[in-house]
Amino acid sequence: MSETTGKYKIGDAVMVAVENPKGNPRTPKYIRGKRGVVALAHGRLENARDHRGIHDPLYTVKFDLTELSACHDSDTIWVDVHEEWLREVERDS
Amino acid sequence: MSGKHGHKPFEGHMHDYMAHIKAVEEDLEYYRAKRFEPRIFYLLRRNVVTFYDLLKVRAALKKKDHFFQFAKPQGKNIEARVRYLEEWLDEYVKGIALVSARTVEGMDMVTEDNRKERGDYDEFFKIKKKEHQGTLEERMANLQQDLTDYSELLEVFVQALMRRGWATREDLTQRWKQLHDERAWAGGVIVAKAWSDPEFKQALLATGREALREMGVHQGKVGKLVVVENTEQTHNVIVCTLCSCYPYDILGDTPWWYKHESYRTNIVQNPRACVKELFQLELPSDKELRVWDSTSDVRYFVLPQRPAGTEGMAEPELAKLVTVDSLIGAGYALEPGQLREREAAHGEAEMPRVRPD
Repeated sequence: MSETTGKYKIGDAVMVAVENPKGNPRTPKYIRGKRGVVALAHGRLENARDHRGIHDPLYTVKFDLTELSACHDSDTIWVDVHEEWLREVERDS
Repeated sequence: MSGKHGHKPFEGHMHDYMAHIKAVEEDLEYYRAKRFEPRIFYLLRRNVVTFYDLLKVRAALKKKDHFFQFAKPQGKNIEARVRYLEEWLDEYVKGIALVSARTVEGMDMVTEDNRKERGDYDEFFKIKKKEHQGTLEERMANLQQDLTDYSELLEVFVQALMRRGWATREDLTQRWKQLHDERAWAGGVIVAKAWSDPEFKQALLATGREALREMGVHQGKVGKLVVVENTEQTHNVIVCTLCSCYPYDILGDTPWWYKHESYRTNIVQNPRACVKELFQLELPSDKELRVWDSTSDVRYFVLPQRPAGTEGMAEPELAKLVTVDSLIGAGYALEPGQLREREAAHGEAEMPRVRPD
C-alpha cells in the first residue's frame, strides 16, 4: 500500500464523474456528480481474487449525507472510488 | 453451527418461525441466482459444460452415485422442520462453494466475472428471484420443493464436471470435507484481542490484514482490509451498495439482510432512521454515524466498543460478547449480563431479522 501514488491527497475536494468512458463499473450511481473530500488514499491495490488487472489508485471519499440524499441528518457516507472517476473541485465555493 | 442463520455463538429456540422461513427463502434465492446459476452460465458460454451434458448425466444418474447426501429431518415438530430447511440451505450453499476455481479446472472465474454474469451492472442479465407467498405451512412446503429441485441441479452439475474431466471425485471429496471443518469464528477472537492489547489494536486499525498475521487467525486474501473503530463520538456501519462485499474470507458469511436490497438502499439514504428501524439502534443526536460503502477493493469491518462491566475479563470470555451484527455496526457487543440472559433464554441472538417489506 502506498499513499503517494495517486493524483489526490487526503483532504482534497473532489467531484465524482457522471459517466466514465473507461467503464470501470465499481462506482455506485448515488454518488455520481456529487462532491466529497478524500479521506483515505489506498494507492493501487492488487485484488486478484476479485478482478483481473489493477485499477487506478483507490480513495475513500467522504460525502456529507445532505449532498447525496434529501435527509437532513449531519451524518457521512464514505465510499471507495477509483481515480479515473474523480475530478478536482475548488474547495468550498 | 456456522450457518448464515445462526449468529454465533448462540443457538437455541426459535420464536418466530415465519421470520426464519423468510430468511431461508431470501438466502436460497440469493445463492441460486447470484452464486450458482451465474457459474453455470459462465461454463456454458465456454463449452466447459453444456446443457446436453446435464441432460445425459441426469438420465444416467443412479442414487448410489450421488455426490451429495443431504440430511433427513430430525423430527416432525415445526421447530425441527424449520431447522432442517436451514441446515439443508447451509449444505446447498457449501455445495455451491465446492464448485469453484479451486476444484474445477475450466473455471478461471474471478468475482468480477460473477458480478457480470448475474447482471450486477446490466438489468438485461439479471436472474430473477422467485417471490414467496402463502401460509407458513405452504411456504415450508414450497421451500422443501425448491431445495429438492435446486439440489438436484447442483448434483447433476457436479456430476457433469466429473464426467467431462474438469474435476475428480477425490478432489471434490477432499474439498467437501474442508468446507465442513469448523474454523473457530475469527471475529470474536480479533475483537477481544484488540480490546485487551492496545498495541495490537493500533496495528489492526493502521494495517488491517497485516496485524492478523501474527495472531494465527485466517488472514483471508480478498482486497485490502480496513477496520473502523466505534467510539463515544462515532458509530460506523458497513454496507456494499453494489453487491454484498464483506470480509467473508476472515469473518464468514453475512446475515441475509446484509445482501437485501432494502438495506443496501436505505442505509445510504437515511442511515439514522435505517439503523433505528432495522437494528433498533437509537443513536444519540451528537454521535456521528458513518456509513462505509465497500464498493471496490477494500473490505471493512467494525471494531465495536468494549462493553461496560468487562474489566479484568480474559480474551476468551470477551470474545463471546462479540456478535456478527456488531462487526457490521448493526448492533453493539453484548454486556456480560446480556450474554447470560441470552444464554439462559437460548437464542434471542439467533433471531434472523424480519424482511422489511
